[in-house]
Amino acid sequence: MPSWIGQALRTGIRTTLYPQRPASEVEVPATGRPPVPTTPDPPSADVISSCPSGAISSSGVDQGKCIRCARCLPGGFAFRGPVEAAMGSRSELLQDAPLSAVGRVLGALPPLGGFARSLHVFLVDAGSCNSCNLEVMALSNPLYDSQRLGIFFTNSPRHADALLVVGVPTDEMVPSLRRAYEALPDPKVVIAVGACPISGGAFAGTPGLATSLDDLLPVDIYVPGCPPTPVQILDGILRAVGRGRPREVP
Amino acid sequence: MTTPVRALPRGAEEGVDAAPLGALAYASEDGSLAVYNDYEVGRSVIGPPPDFAGLRTVAETWRRSSKAGVSRPGGPVDPIDGYGVFTFPYGPISMGVPESGKFEVRTYGERILGLSPVAGFKSRRILSSVVGSTIPDAALRIERLAGNFSAAHTAAFLAAAESAEGRPVAREELRIRALGQELQRIYNHVHVLARIAEAAAQNVGAAQSHALAEDLLRLQGSVFGHRWLFGAFLPGGPRRATDREAREKLAARLVPLARTFSDLWELFLGSRTFVDRIQSTCVVPRTVALQWGAVGPTLRACGVDWDDRLRVPTVPYNDLFLDLPNESDGDALARLLVRAHEVRASFLLLEQLLDRWPSGTDGDEPPAANVGPERGLGRVESPSGDLVYDVYVKDGRVAGIGMRSASQANFPVFARGLRDGVFTDFHFAWESFGIVFAEVDA
Amino acid sequence: MSNDVLAILLVLAVATFFLGAALSIVRRSLGYLAALVGSVLLLSTAVVVLLGGPVSSPNWTGPLGEPESLSMDALSAFFALAASIVWIATSVYSIFYDDRRSPMLAISYCLTVGSIALLVNASSEVLFLIGWETMTLASYGMILQARGAAERVSSAAFVFLAFGEASTLFVILAVAGLRVGTGSFLFGAHLGPGSLATIVFVAALIGFGLKMGIAPFHMSEWLPIAHSSAPSNASAVLSSTLTLAGAYGLFRMVSLLNSPPLWWGAVMLGIGAVSALLGALFAAVSEHTKGLPAYSTIENNGLILVALGVALLSRSDGLEELFVFALFAALYQALAHAVAKTGLFLSAGYVEHTSHTFDLNAVDGRVKGTSRAQLLGTVAATLSLAAGPPLAGFVSEWMVLEALFQSYRFSQSWVQFVGLLAGAAVALAAGLILVAMVKFVGFSVLWRPRGGPPGNGAPGLGTVVGGVGATVVAIGVLAPWILQFLAPTASAFAGYSVAAPVGGLLSVPQGWSILSGSPFGILSPPMIPLALAIGSLVGLGYYALGRHRPRRRAAQWMAGSAPGLDGETYTSFGYSTGIRIMMGSVLGTREVRSDVGTVSVAGVDSVEPYSVDLEVFDSFKLFYAALVRLGNGISDVLKVWIMPGRLGRYLAYVLVVVLAVVIYIAAAY
Repeated sequence: MPSWIGQALRTGIRTTLYPQRPASEVEVPATGRPPVPTTPDPPSADVISSCPSGAISSSGVDQGKCIRCARCLPGGFAFRGPVEAAMGSRSELLQDAPLSAVGRVLGALPPLGGFARSLHVFLVDAGSCNSCNLEVMALSNPLYDSQRLGIFFTNSPRHADALLVVGVPTDEMVPSLRRAYEALPDPKVVIAVGACPISGGAFAGTPGLATSLDDLLPVDIYVPGCPPTPVQILDGILRAVGRGRPREVP
Repeated sequence: MTTPVRALPRGAEEGVDAAPLGALAYASEDGSLAVYNDYEVGRSVIGPPPDFAGLRTVAETWRRSSKAGVSRPGGPVDPIDGYGVFTFPYGPISMGVPESGKFEVRTYGERILGLSPVAGFKSRRILSSVVGSTIPDAALRIERLAGNFSAAHTAAFLAAAESAEGRPVAREELRIRALGQELQRIYNHVHVLARIAEAAAQNVGAAQSHALAEDLLRLQGSVFGHRWLFGAFLPGGPRRATDREAREKLAARLVPLARTFSDLWELFLGSRTFVDRIQSTCVVPRTVALQWGAVGPTLRACGVDWDDRLRVPTVPYNDLFLDLPNESDGDALARLLVRAHEVRASFLLLEQLLDRWPSGTDGDEPPAANVGPERGLGRVESPSGDLVYDVYVKDGRVAGIGMRSASQANFPVFARGLRDGVFTDFHFAWESFGIVFAEVDA
Repeated sequence: MSNDVLAILLVLAVATFFLGAALSIVRRSLGYLAALVGSVLLLSTAVVVLLGGPVSSPNWTGPLGEPESLSMDALSAFFALAASIVWIATSVYSIFYDDRRSPMLAISYCLTVGSIALLVNASSEVLFLIGWETMTLASYGMILQARGAAERVSSAAFVFLAFGEASTLFVILAVAGLRVGTGSFLFGAHLGPGSLATIVFVAALIGFGLKMGIAPFHMSEWLPIAHSSAPSNASAVLSSTLTLAGAYGLFRMVSLLNSPPLWWGAVMLGIGAVSALLGALFAAVSEHTKGLPAYSTIENNGLILVALGVALLSRSDGLEELFVFALFAALYQALAHAVAKTGLFLSAGYVEHTSHTFDLNAVDGRVKGTSRAQLLGTVAATLSLAAGPPLAGFVSEWMVLEALFQSYRFSQSWVQFVGLLAGAAVALAAGLILVAMVKFVGFSVLWRPRGGPPGNGAPGLGTVVGGVGATVVAIGVLAPWILQFLAPTASAFAGYSVAAPVGGLLSVPQGWSILSGSPFGILSPPMIPLALAIGSLVGLGYYALGRHRPRRRAAQWMAGSAPGLDGETYTSFGYSTGIRIMMGSVLGTREVRSDVGTVSVAGVDSVEPYSVDLEVFDSFKLFYAALVRLGNGISDVLKVWIMPGRLGRYLAYVLVVVLAVVIYIAAAY
């Protein structure tokens, strides 16, 4: 006789061991890691103009603008950056020749607000395509299970410590976004997930959309990607409380 | 041919069925093009708008919703009043609905007397901003119009652009597009099942379904290099594993996934509380579905057997076997039954596709007939229904674009289906439709 | 204080009320002032009597040849005490808020109050009846002063009068029974068990139940207050003290009946429980600022009856401790209700005064200028009726429930079962009344999005309502001592000396706790605020030391929408729709749609404007309506048969009667 218990026993435990163990291959697809140059030469003009969001410049890749379209791959780039790509400031997302950082282990950010054991997160969709929303919601599924790390998603900003913003802020959403930020009690953290809130992503330059979430709210953590995989979003949230996995550059 | 309808769903009016069985599929803004689905004969008709005055309201509602600014994709607001009746604003940031969109509920307490969705909060002005871009650049934005339907949107847009340009497409490309679309269809349907299970507090079932959905996303990530298939159909996109070895691996990986879905579905159907919760919830009368041009599982759950893969045949679907579900109750259970049927059908389609994949290239498919000078129409069956793209191309750049998404068509049906429901029915109704604000706020 | 002085005080107190009625003709405020003075005198007399002993004025001969006097024993003193607290508040309120042009309201107010004072202090049943009837007529006069459509007002007042006269009828029956059984009209004469005692009991229960608004007679309470929109001081007096008079009459008459059989208590328990539940249910779905408190009065009176029923049952069963406890519970319930209900009606009056409507949906937060004292007083009164600790209503409700919990002590299982059912009904009523009270205070004065911040408020009202609120808190927190203070009342009812059920346990000092049985339950009302205060010291200290973050005010979160309000907020109606739907079978909820039609406009369905009303109905209203129709029908038929207006027929009647008399006399001699 079929039963849910039998089904559950057959399935077994499938929760990822991240962040205790590094992210596995299946959890991060080919385009999941940030692009890094494969040669030490500076990128050519062709490659720079091939990037639709203008992420590549002569000094390197602005990870906050990369939308993972892979057009730069033939021009000397590869998706081989560290999985843990979340940064604490916009400038840190501008990597200059990260190959020079080979071997250097970048540690966790200093903890913000002292929420090491329990962080309540409120998700706001400022104008996204839904893929980031779904990746954030995937954190609650049994394969990632953010609750075991003390990360909870709340239904009201009043109960939250962190504001997670996905999507490029449209003019129509700006007032609601501001109200949500005001409604979070202090101390609070703002996490921008995906290329859209960081730099406009694929929609940069469209009138009626904000250039960056930075212009509206003080952002504490930036998680690049289009969309970032669930482990990368998890990394971003954990960085906010100082429990991120040390970043290893392969 | 129409499937004989077993019973008229609640609300169907006698005599209205005497009207021709069909619905508006698309009407362009300048009125130069209209597409009409004839459900009786089972084909779509392209031409000047038929003389159906009421269709104007429908087309207006769809069109208004894809512009910037706040709009009402649910159609005209019901004028309901009474003692103690007030409007309850739900949104735009309400955690029950995963996106930003507002619902104005007219109520006197527990009951939903009328529902008026308000969209426009996520309007990213995509359709206006792609005018002037090259096809690949425009496709980058079209992909990100609705991430979970990206394969369908990209495929439809590219088909329209190719038809407009008169450019032949490699059959291999079309098969890859079908592969991606079917995989995403399965993911979307499993995700809908998981969300409904969550709403019904079937926590074990929901967890199992979410795990299956995640497995499907990972599968898509390993085959196409991106979990949401961004760039999968574009030249120079991320790595695609479609050589023979990869295809065999894919076929092998699909078997246990199909079996898991069957097991889960059997368990769900055996749960009386689960079935009770979605039976007779948000019943959509067939007349409403027809009048507002409902598409997708919503339409098929009302007893109309229209699926673009069968009725607007393109390569490779014209070679594959697909049978349509036979439901007519129009409630949330029927929509879920339709989706479960489609998951099994998609697994079968994938098996056929992979089985019959020719080794080596098999040439190009000639371009589909365009609908006007430098103008092409692309239609695919997205997971939530018929999707239409109407693209003008000039010198390799988009000169004009129109779109009618499944969500645009189904929003008015959703608003009317929930009338006389209760607050707690809302999430079952919303999830069972599978519509998103992102497709409306293009 | 010597007995003579006290007697003079008593007579003076009662007389002042009637003096006030006369003074009102000259100037209204003088009349209210006199009522105030009379209330204070009555209050002091009652306190002295409770501390000392009963007092009585000199006798005079009454209309039926029996000796009469104004005498106050401990039982009368309690009810006089409760009533005078209410009257002090309402009289002060009336001075400010009686803005009628004619002095009729003031006159009838003073007469009502005076007659209640008279009947509470009556030594004989005849004087009691005089006071009772005067009270009915005077309050009829008060209700007639209501504003509103003349026909509705007079019909509502007429209903009140009809029920009032029916009540008097049954009370007369009870008095007659007592007279026949004991041979005396005095309240000291007891009646032994038997069929006469049963008749007296049933008549008293129906008669006083009619006044108290007990189901199935609850229309008498709710209709006049709600439908006629009686002025607020009238509503407060009617709801609080008229029902208190009914309770007094019931207590007094029952105390005269010795050895009550078991079924008396059970009947009282059953009726009381049903009333409590129905009252709470209708209060929870009521949208009328006066109707809601009126239904709450029915609920509270039901609770009084429940407690009295348990007391009678325990007495019949020989459970002395439970008898005493239940008796105190009944007394406390009456006291707590009288005071708290006053606060509620005065506040409702102010709400009507500023927003000019009785509909809670229309009030919807538009009340301006409430002062902090008024707000706090209203919240205290409302919370007390909802049994929130540590207020008076909480203590009394706890005591009633504790008494019911001890139903297992009864010897007969059917009595235990009745107690069980009654307990369930009372518990459900407590839950429903919470909804009602929160709705009332929330939508009338507590939430002021359109009214602005609390202002200086109406003159005098803050003091009065604040004072009532403070009294409610005091009655709650000081409950153990008040119970001891009321011990003479319980003794007067029981006929022997009883001690209040207070004690000390678990390191709470002796006399600070109420014990519901030994052993059973314990509650220490004064410890609640004490514990709260001590517990908050840490937090307060932290706050005072300035270690907290600076306060930030944020707007209300409405899911990202602007916190704007017109038409977009939950209405008072919507608040209790859940109950309307859940209890639909009891309330008869149905949806009525008008102007509905689905019109197909060129292939697209559209809906014509329509309005939806969710209606509930009172089954007893239907019952009475049917009764009225029956009565009218019979009277129509009889009118046509017996009184057709023809002279010949009447002459024939006269002939028949004369013949009958002649035959009778002839046969007798």
